[in-house]
Amino acid sequence: MAKSITFIVTKDCQLACKYCYLVGKNTKERMSWEVAKQAIDYILDREEEFREESVIWDFIGGEPFLEIDLIDKICDYLKTEMYRRNHHWFNSYRFSFSTNGINYHTEKVQRFIEKNRNHLSIGITIDGTERKHDLNRIWKTPEMEQGIMPKAEEERGSYKDVVKNIPLWLEQFPGAGTKVTISSADLPYIKESVLHLYSLGIKEVNINCVFEDVWKEGDDQLFEEQLTELADAIIDGRLYEDHACSFFQEHIGKPMDRERDNQNWCGAGMMLAVDAAGMFYPCTRFAQYSLRSKSAWIIGNIHDGIDKNKLRPFLTLDRCTQSTEECITCEVASGCAWCQGENFDAADTHTVYQRSTAICKMHKARVRANNYYWNKLFRKLELQEYEEQKRKSNCKACEI
Amino acid sequence: MLQYLIILLDDKSVSYCHYELPSDVSREESLMPLDTLRAGIVFAMKENLNIQFVYPEQALSAEYAEVIESIDHTKIKPEAQAKEADVLVLAEWKKQIPDDVEGATCIIRASRKELQENLEQVKDLLGKVMRLNVVLTDIEAFKDEDVAGYQSLLEALSDLLIDQFKIGRMVQLNLLTDRLLLTQMNNCGAGDTTLSLAPNGKFYLCPAFYYDDPEQDVGNLKDGLNIKNRQLMRLDHAPICRHCDAYQCKRCIWMNCRLTLDANTPSHQQCVVAHVGRNASRNLLKKMAEQGIHMSDTHEIKEINYLDPFNNYKKWK
Ligand code: SF4
Ligand code: SF4
Ligand code: SF4
Repeated sequence: MAKSITFIVTKDCQLACKYCYLVGKNTKERMSWEVAKQAIDYILDREEEFREESVIWDFIGGEPFLEIDLIDKICDYLKTEMYRRNHHWFNSYRFSFSTNGINYHTEKVQRFIEKNRNHLSIGITIDGTERKHDLNRIWKTPEMEQGIMPKAEEERGSYKDVVKNIPLWLEQFPGAGTKVTISSADLPYIKESVLHLYSLGIKEVNINCVFEDVWKEGDDQLFEEQLTELADAIIDGRLYEDHACSFFQEHIGKPMDRERDNQNWCGAGMMLAVDAAGMFYPCTRFAQYSLRSKSAWIIGNIHDGIDKNKLRPFLTLDRCTQSTEECITCEVASGCAWCQGENFDAADTHTVYQRSTAICKMHKARVRANNYYWNKLFRKLELQEYEEQKRKSNCKACEI
Repeated sequence: MLQYLIILLDDKSVSYCHYELPSDVSREESLMPLDTLRAGIVFAMKENLNIQFVYPEQALSAEYAEVIESIDHTKIKPEAQAKEADVLVLAEWKKQIPDDVEGATCIIRASRKELQENLEQVKDLLGKVMRLNVVLTDIEAFKDEDVAGYQSLLEALSDLLIDQFKIGRMVQLNLLTDRLLLTQMNNCGAGDTTLSLAPNGKFYLCPAFYYDDPEQDVGNLKDGLNIKNRQLMRLDHAPICRHCDAYQCKRCIWMNCRLTLDANTPSHQQCVVAHVGRNASRNLLKKMAEQGIHMSDTHEIKEINYLDPFNNYKKWK
């Protein structure tokens, strides 16, 4: 298994996406080189504590590429140090980025990509069609920093600034997938968005509903309709042959065994995140800027190290202990996901052991559409095979 | 299920557990108002709870005594008010052990160092009382390198117990004898079997939560109980503890909240201290067998190779 270590290099971003969970985004907190170096030294000094076979050095923001100079320096240092120390991660590391794609084409970013090409994964977030993307992913204005939101007609979407970089990205990372997050207002655009992303040449669309409690009356029906139409489009257009959409998965929506299927879903605690102040977190979602109603779950800092006591709740988490009886005995439980950070944020007490089920009706709607998808696809393939068999036996008959 | 209600008669009620009283608790007007006391007793009666009153050092008026005596209860008292105590909290190490400790369970709050330095007094106490509870006050500060020292401290205490057993006094010392007699967890039960009522009329998981921050209440006498995530106080929702056989451990959820930030997850320190104790009980049982000492209802304690059950978590998953 790979260890994922995230540098929150900046909390700044050019955009101000409306669904962004980073409630405390700001332009001030940028990681300094000293903090980054100390974090790296802390981690690499403790090879015996970080025994995972491989590592993903992950960079997020805000928008990570706003700090490309720092990132370049960090990555150079990581490579040199892993090599110098003969660290077991030297042969097994990746640098990973989730970016809004706006600066992708810039010289500095391109130079960085060229330099680290073989150890790099980059995901660009594009939400779908221009209409859908620009609904949420709008440019930030100086007034927003003061809390003044622009009028709807003054909002400037970022679609065009991102989409121009997609061909270059796909050329450099042909198998790359994109991540799409669905909130209530996005529901009517799901089908057109996924198909649009396919049309841009993106073969893998990882899409999911936000875990927050945002769902309105009727959202589940709308969601189910959209997914059913999407299923028709994918199957009728034979897109399933070389495209993937994470909404449709064969093994979701089944009951789960209390003992056999008791694993935790989320990787918080196995991961490690560090921010500009040099604080360590079990995952970025536990840093203050990601939390609405709780204070940060800090597990240590670059000076005093990691307090292992504060990781224990994460490492011993299982599915049933944090779930209600309704979820444990749910007939469509498999694939019903959660985010430990959202669970913590929404919990009634200071705990990661209270599963938030805001997503319940959306998961059930997804399961129904998913069942439809597989039943339709299997029948189609079955009939195709039948036709094929028939054709073959007819031919044999002709030969006779 | 709730079984016990601890009523703090005063903000200055003696600490009988791991927490310290804050130094700034005012002496003035810190007593529980009589109406609150009466309402607390009625609450306990209606919920079928056994009451444990925790007394302050200053004497209470006859009015209070009358209300208190209106219900069956247990008295947890500081040494200054030793009369009629069921549980007596000793204030400091004394050369002379007072006679009135005899009928009561005695509690001593002490660090390992204090215990070590006062073994003579422990010896005297064991000669007088039938049960001594030592509450360690320095569990949070326990380090892995302290294991050997704590092991030898417990060994010294075992020898003191054996001396008593040999003269036919089957005295109990919680740190060592509880585990001999238990076949399942016997934890403090805060929030699960036990709740506390503070002088302000509000309920708390245990007094420690009240002293930390009175805003952490779990309901009040007027509106009733409101314990959120109560299942997390139970053993079956404690992923490490439910795999553990240090049955004598308090499983202090207050320390959990401070050290691991989650009520159902114990710290490394708490587990190691409890396991050094568990293993010392095992050794005591062996010594007793070697010397032909029999104590009824003891159970075999198997050998294990860990001091922190957390180390096994990958096996449970
Ligand atoms: S949240 Fe709803 S769909 Fe998901 S497991 Fe629980 S009951 Fe089932
Ligand atoms: S939770 Fe229990 S063991 Fe811990 S301080 Fe409170 S009463 Fe004592
Ligand atoms: S020793 Fe640790 S795991 Fe065992 S009961 Fe005590 S706190 Fe829980």
